[in-house]
Amino acid sequence: MTALREGTDLPGLQKEIKQAKINLYAEASRDFNPIHIDEAFARKTPLGGTIAHGMLILAYISQMMTAAFGKNWLTGGKINVRFKAPARPGDVITVSGRITRVEPEEDYTLCRCEVLCENQDGETVISGDAKVKVKHDGSSS
Amino acid sequence: MPENQKIDIREVAAGYEFPPVSYQIDSARVADYLGAVDEDNVLYRDTGLVPPMAVAALALAALSEGMTMPPGAIHVSQEVEFLAMVSTADTVTSRATVARSQNRGKFHMVTVALSVVNQGEKEVMAAKTSFILPGDVGDNEPA
Repeated sequence: MTALREGTDLPGLQKEIKQAKINLYAEASRDFNPIHIDEAFARKTPLGGTIAHGMLILAYISQMMTAAFGKNWLTGGKINVRFKAPARPGDVITVSGRITRVEPEEDYTLCRCEVLCENQDGETVISGDAKVKVKHDGSSS
Repeated sequence: MPENQKIDIREVAAGYEFPPVSYQIDSARVADYLGAVDEDNVLYRDTGLVPPMAVAALALAALSEGMTMPPGAIHVSQEVEFLAMVSTADTVTSRATVARSQNRGKFHMVTVALSVVNQGEKEVMAAKTSFILPGDVGDNEPA
């Protein structure tokens, strides 16, 4: 598990957005909005093409948080984000995060983090913050 | 639910409660989800655990079964809190309430609060999802 120190970087990751993955996500999440999966439809919209589901990109942040905090994330994680720009097929999304504050409590340590997803041009796709209760008994690592 | 029985999200006021939806997230759907998001954390390997964002995504899918949104709707923000683990053996129930609905002329802002409980009525996830939607009801065909 990631060391609980302010300023510690979380284990970031990179994901290439592919239409095939978007289609798989649509099936798995049952979100068949045509803006995600119908290229002919999406071309006619102001977006000019398909975009990934925001929840798919958010899932990548959750993946990073799970890698950093294990089961603590599943039982005491909270995230609050804004979707700033769409992620499109062909984009490479870099997911990063950092512990900004560590607050010891009686039964757990509360870790506050900033989280970010950027595309290959450095444009922010998602930004926000997360917090996770890390239990002291070590049962959730 | 048939499309013509769904309500336009812009027509409902804050406080409106959607009918609850119950479902199981079976191992096949978990496998599909893990493949779609390229998640290979050992936590999910033959453990029956459901990734928390899969619970969130399917709660949104359950919400969409009861409503329509016009073309051009934008998902602008998302808050999710994971309160307990969910396994493939669980039956979860998703409840959704309109927390905010504001018409601002050319666009409409809606926030929906979601709560997912397991078969023991223990809350496993809470969320708030916000959308910006185009204009007045009637200006757009349902999505």
